[in-house]
This record gives sequence, structure tokens and C-alpha cells, in this order.
Amino acid sequence: MSTDVVFNLVEALTRVDEDEELFHTLAELFVEQAPLDMAATQAALDAGDAEALARAAHRMKGAILQFSAPRVFEATKELEALGKAGTLDRAATVCAQVDRELQQLIAALRAYVANGSAS
Amino acid sequence: MNSNTLSKPAAPPVVATVLLVDDEPVSRLSMAARLKRMGLRVLEAGNGKDGLAILRRERPDLTILDWIMPDMDGPTVCEQVRQDPDILSSQLILMTSQDQPEQIAEGLARGADDFLSKSASKQEILARVQSGLRAASLVRSIESTRDELRDKQGELERELKSAAGYIQSLLPVAGEIAPSIDMAWTYRPSLALGGDLFNVSRWNDQSIYFYILDASGHGVSPALRAASFATFLRPENIRHCITQHDPAAMLVEANRRYPLTEDGNYFTIWIGSFNRVTHQLSYATAGHGGALIQRRDGAIEWLTHPHLPLGFEPESTYELTTLKIEAGDRVILMSDGIYEAPAPTGELWGTTRLETTLMDHRSAPLRETLPALMAEAERWHGSPVFPDDAALLGLEFRL
Repeated sequence: MSTDVVFNLVEALTRVDEDEELFHTLAELFVEQAPLDMAATQAALDAGDAEALARAAHRMKGAILQFSAPRVFEATKELEALGKAGTLDRAATVCAQVDRELQQLIAALRAYVANGSAS
Repeated sequence: MNSNTLSKPAAPPVVATVLLVDDEPVSRLSMAARLKRMGLRVLEAGNGKDGLAILRRERPDLTILDWIMPDMDGPTVCEQVRQDPDILSSQLILMTSQDQPEQIAEGLARGADDFLSKSASKQEILARVQSGLRAASLVRSIESTRDELRDKQGELERELKSAAGYIQSLLPVAGEIAPSIDMAWTYRPSLALGGDLFNVSRWNDQSIYFYILDASGHGVSPALRAASFATFLRPENIRHCITQHDPAAMLVEANRRYPLTEDGNYFTIWIGSFNRVTHQLSYATAGHGGALIQRRDGAIEWLTHPHLPLGFEPESTYELTTLKIEAGDRVILMSDGIYEAPAPTGELWGTTRLETTLMDHRSAPLRETLPALMAEAERWHGSPVFPDDAALLGLEFRL
């Protein structure tokens, strides 16, 4: 999986059997849902609740998986692992990275939904 | 589900239903769409509790559960399903984000049938789902066969009960069957109904005769053959066809009339005849070893000698043995179901333990001794239902 794109449309479409309409719906749902999940992740981190952090990151990871978005996926996976391990000192940095990557993915998906292209 | 699946166990249901339980809407929508494209009817739930409720209500062919969910996670749903007799055979697939072996082990231990990685390819999802549906279809066909068998078994048991009721109606009325001769019996047909039957008849004012017989096999057929034999042994019939009540002569005639059946079934029987004037007991046996005399002082002597069952050799003759009965003697006839009652370990109760029990109850009235004997055999067996008919007939000669 190439990491120089925000998300890999060809791969993502393969996952859904080239069903662009479905992919559109998934993207719209994600654009709505992801900020809420991110907020929950941030809140868990702020509260120092490692278990809740792992759960929130895990949930977000499942959604991100649908878009073949390697950078944000890897960052979220790392955040989940940190939550599970209870090592919250490094989590703040990773969480900020997830947030950045996520904003990029959301922007890219918004553009895709608006234009019907991944550019 | 489609009723076709009952008669075609190998084929998956025409439109199988899959329940998908995942709290994360984007991945749930994606998976649901993929499942629908496989031609499946998809039900969705957003958490474990709702999923469990839908599973109970809709009985999907297959349920795919996310592992981590708020309220009730996937493994907990699996546990709940396995504890509920109504739904415990449901097919459950747990979704995992990474195939950590320890996660698989935990999922299996908590009741999952299979696992599906969230990043699985379309081909893998299809293969897992099809394998789950095949298992579901197999389980359903086994369950429906089991239910049919249970119904048939119930029908059979009702027939056996009714046959057992008929056999009971042929048994004698306990009490003083002739002056100074008391009779008691206790009879417990097995669930499968053996062909054990006994009776006491008055031949004339001087004589009585009594017997215990066993038709080989289990079920309605031996019970009916035993009933037919009992009819043959009624005094009016014996008077008509052999004119005497000598047990050996009765066996010679019975041996002619009841040859081995085509499927190899036969009778064993013990017949005794008592003369109230001479106090002589004469007996003959064809393969039946369940008779003994217990003297007043408690001493026990088995009244039997080896001989083929009825029906093996058409020209068989039978040895007649005669002994003197003293006041207070008891003669006890029993089916082999008594002394062959097995303990849960398989060890048979046996004649030695039976004799000890008889000694212990020698001073009790006969009508109490027989139930005590039955109770002791039952205690040994560990259950009130014996694998074979358990019958006891006792006569006490007060003289």
C-alpha cells in the first residue's frame, strides 16, 4: 500500500466491488461520523482513561479501514496499541498526528464526494 | 427459514439471513453491503444487547459479531447464546482486527464458531460465510431429525405403556389364592417392555400351579407373545389340550406349540405345581433360572436346573423335580431383570446380594418382603427404571 496518498481510491473501490454508489455513502457517513469519534478519542486521552482511548481508537480504525488510507490507519492503530498498553505519555503526540491525518482524509473524502474524483 | 432446508440438509437455505452486529456504522454499512451482494438477507444491530435480542427473535442462519462493542461485547454475546437452550446452536462468527492467536483461543473458549478479520478480502468473507451457512444448515437438519426422532420415540413409548398396561391386566390378584397359601407379587415393566409374565392358577381343590415366563426380546412383540403364551397356560385350555397339570407335560406341549420364531425369538419358563394334600411341589423349567425356595429358617435353595429354552428341539422332554413343602416355606419366582439389574458401574446385583436381602427380610410378611427386594435392586441400579422387566412372585405356604 503506497503511503504518499491520503487514501487509495482504486483499492478502496475493490473492497466494495467497484460499487461507487456504496463508496459514496460510506464516505458521507464517515465525514459525519469521524469528527465525533475523534472527539471521543481526544476526550478519553484528556481524561487519562487508557482503556476508553483504546476503545475509541479501535472503533475509528474500523471505519478508516474502509478507505485504504494508510497513514491515518497506521497512526490510529498505534494510538490503540498505546491505549491498550496504558502508555499515555506518548499518546498525546500520536493522537495529534491522528487528528491531522484524519482531517486530511476527511477533506479528501469531501472533495471526492463533491467532485466524484479522488484527486 | 425456508422449510425446504429441512428436506435438503446439504444445500444452504435459499435466502439465508445474516445478522451483523457492529457498533461502528461505517464498517457495518460496508460489510452489510458486501453481504447483501452475496445474495444474503442482512439484519443489523449497533450493539451486543440489541444483537442478542434480534438473534432470539429472528433466528438468523449466521451471526457476525464485532469483538469490541459498548454494553455487551462480541464474546459476551457468544457466551449468552451458548447458555440459552433455544439458540445455543446458532452459528457465530467473531470479527477480529488482528489474528492474535490468544484472541482466537479466547473467542473459541467463549463460544465463537469462527473468526473473520476486519480486513478480510471479499473471497475470504464469502468463504467464511458459506462455511458458516453450511454448518447452520447441517445443525438445523440434525435438530429437525432429532425432533422427529423424539416424536417417534414418544409415540413408541406410549404404545409400550399401553402394552405394559395390558400385561398388567393379565396379572393375578394378590392375597390368599388357595386356603393357607398367600401370594404377593411386584412387577415393574422396563421402559422398553420385556416379555416377562407370571401367574398362579387353581387346577382343582387340591392343586395350584404357577409359572414365570420370559419371551425373548424387547417391545410390544414379546409382550404380545407372552400374553398369548399366558392364554395357553390358562387352566381351561390346559384341561382341554393336555388334560393334566404336570409341569413337565405342560412344557412338552408348549415346546411343540411355540417353536423358535423366524427372527430367533423364544420363551424361557419355569412352572411349578403344588398339591395341598401331599404338600409336594413339582417343577420343571425350560431355560428359566428365576425360582427359589426359602425355608422358614431362612435357608435358600434355587429350584432350577439347566435346560434349553422352549422351541429349540421339537422332541424335548423335561425333567420333573419334586420336593416337600414345609409350613412357612416361601417360593419366590423372579425375572432375570431383578438379579441382573446393573449398577451404574455395570456390575450386576447378582443372586448373592439377592439372597442376603431375602435373609434380612425373612421375618417380614411376604407382601413387604417383595417390595423390599425390588427397592434394594433399585438402590443398586440407581434408578427406578430397570433395563429389563423386573418381576417378583412370591408364595407362602402356611399349611
